[in-house]
Amino acid sequence: MAGVAGGNDFQWCFSQVKGAIDEDVAEADIISTVEFNYSGDLLATGDKGGRVVIFQHEQESKNRPHLRGEYNVYSTFQSHEPEFDYLKSLEIEEKINKIRWLPQQNAAHFLLSTNDKTIKLWKISERDKRAEGYNLKDEEGRLREPYRITSLRVPVLMPMDLMVEASPRRIFANAHTYHINSISVNSDHETYLSADDLRINLWHLEITDRSFNIVDIKPANMEELTEVITAAECHPHQCNVFVYSSSKGTIRLCDMRAAALCDRHSKFFEEPEDPSSRSFFSEIISSISDVKFSHSGRYMMTRDYLSVKVWDLNMENRPVETYQVHEYLRSKLCSLYENDCIFDKFECCWNGSDSAIMTGSYNNFFRMFDRNTRRDITLEASRESSKPRATLKPRKVSTGGKRKKDEISVDSLDFNKKILHTAWHPKDNVIAVAATNNLYIFQDKIN
Amino acid sequence: MECAFDAQNLISISLRKIQSSRTQRGGIKLHKNLLVTYVLRNARQFYMSKNSLQTQRRPPCEDAAVVRGRQEYLELSSSFTELADDFYCNFTGVESDTWHCGAHQPSAQPTELARQDASACAMVPSDSDLMVAEACWSCADKSSWELPIPNTQANQKTVLDLDTHVVTTVTNGYFHSDCCAQPKQPQAGAHCYTGKRKMDTSYYIVDPEFYLPDLVPVPFKRMRSEDEDDGDLQSDSEQLESSNISNLISVLGSGGLSEFVSWQQMDLEQIFGSQTICLKQTLLAGSGWTRAIEAF
Repeated sequence: MAGVAGGNDFQWCFSQVKGAIDEDVAEADIISTVEFNYSGDLLATGDKGGRVVIFQHEQESKNRPHLRGEYNVYSTFQSHEPEFDYLKSLEIEEKINKIRWLPQQNAAHFLLSTNDKTIKLWKISERDKRAEGYNLKDEEGRLREPYRITSLRVPVLMPMDLMVEASPRRIFANAHTYHINSISVNSDHETYLSADDLRINLWHLEITDRSFNIVDIKPANMEELTEVITAAECHPHQCNVFVYSSSKGTIRLCDMRAAALCDRHSKFFEEPEDPSSRSFFSEIISSISDVKFSHSGRYMMTRDYLSVKVWDLNMENRPVETYQVHEYLRSKLCSLYENDCIFDKFECCWNGSDSAIMTGSYNNFFRMFDRNTRRDITLEASRESSKPRATLKPRKVSTGGKRKKDEISVDSLDFNKKILHTAWHPKDNVIAVAATNNLYIFQDKIN
Repeated sequence: MECAFDAQNLISISLRKIQSSRTQRGGIKLHKNLLVTYVLRNARQFYMSKNSLQTQRRPPCEDAAVVRGRQEYLELSSSFTELADDFYCNFTGVESDTWHCGAHQPSAQPTELARQDASACAMVPSDSDLMVAEACWSCADKSSWELPIPNTQANQKTVLDLDTHVVTTVTNGYFHSDCCAQPKQPQAGAHCYTGKRKMDTSYYIVDPEFYLPDLVPVPFKRMRSEDEDDGDLQSDSEQLESSNISNLISVLGSGGLSEFVSWQQMDLEQIFGSQTICLKQTLLAGSGWTRAIEAF
């Protein structure tokens, strides 16, 4: 069966699943962000408990050359702890909102992780050698009596079991009054931006005690507030350009060369609202939950509640492509408002060649759209179809009338099983899909 | 999925969401609450438009005194509506004359009237008191389902009683027995804002950054006008400090606080003496009025 993002023989198959199988899901184990690094060898996840788990891609096995290597746990560490702001009587959640990798410049790996208030730069380094033969301490590490030291020797490096250490190198705190929703590393590899509901700050990776405020949409009178910032990202190649999306469904592209404070946008992207589709919830479903530049830098993609839109940076008045993710939910908005599902923030991602895009939905469904063939596919991340190398069967939601075999009706969808976070390997057809507390890894079937 | 899809239900759900957001871990989510206020606004517009149709179908014979009182009230409040129009339209930069949500009549006498009274009387010391007096109104919507609302409805308030879950529209009414048992003799309850004094024109800026995450009453910033008395300042602080309603208003961008902002010099006693109370539905059943969320 023809698939997406590949030739006619392309099919997605199950590779791995990480996480507990228990039906009772601990809140702290819910995955809140997923991110491949620049090479795709490392895959990082953050969860609501403030932990970061990094998986590393193992080389292909000679015994099973038809399979790509697997991802195994590389490092686990507690990134953020719950905090309490005594001045404001505010509890600060430890949930990891975003992880962003820095480009690798030496043997160590660096990533930025953030919760609602604080961003941290972590260094993940390997240690596979240990110095032995110290002069001042013995093999157990105890200090020697000075009078016992009668000779000098040079310590020797001996091999040891690989140990991966994660250490916080920088802590960027106290710069955000509102909840941080985005961080994005700049293409200059020196700076990065962080965005909360009303402000965007520009940081230097080496400097933690100050940041530049580059966007501030807080009105003088908070009663005049009509929109908030929902996501922000740096351009992949132009270090002076960034975009931010708003709760009103608009995207602003700013050029940092124009002014120190980029309150005035350089480009303003907005699609006129269709008046015939107006409802009580129009403002909610038009709010953009994620914005991502294409790898080429020519396009950007936005996700709102019901659709994904691809924009050409050279055309501001409408998107060049619109993909409906789950249009069948439009008639269910009232119920989704009642159970708060309408506020879910879905993310989206590009494949390495920008020929396909992926985003999540409910019932552990996720959707892929091929931009060239205009084909789309719905797949499910479930334990039932988690047999090794099992081909994923396309799923379909019946929107009315007779329900065909293997279709699922809208009313049968499980809205507690939502896929908000997905990631696509930067080079290969390998995807990581976060389904509540489980991380599914799928890959293409190499024929 | 089944849901009782009507505007009243949406208002009730929305206000409950706002209230529950106060106790959420991590503090109030500004984005989510902003979206909820949009739903509130939309539901309110729809609800008021339905009510206006019902009002127009009223029997022609009405108590002359009631009618006269209503007319006087309308005259006094119309100019406030005009002020509110100008304020709300600041959101989109649209001129107030394009706002079709309520026809306003120009008046030379700006006033605060019952909307102010109702707002004040809702500020009772209760942990669960919230007031979402006005959502962020957008003046640019011109979709067909937003029917024009006559000025009559602009002076009404929609109130949700958290105990009985009754949504009620109150016209020019008081809500709290402590404050408003006698319309001509306003009770200056311990925390009733409207005392027997002149309204000040001072600017109450409540900095949401200071208490956005939790509606714990905290001191608020305040800008004074030049002619404000120091005595008023002290009494105002005492009255407002125990109320967390203004907190929520600032957080949610409610137009209710804008009413305080746009106050004019006025003697409340003159206002009280000239108005009548008209309640569509009896709210005050003895001491039943302990928790209320006042919307718009």
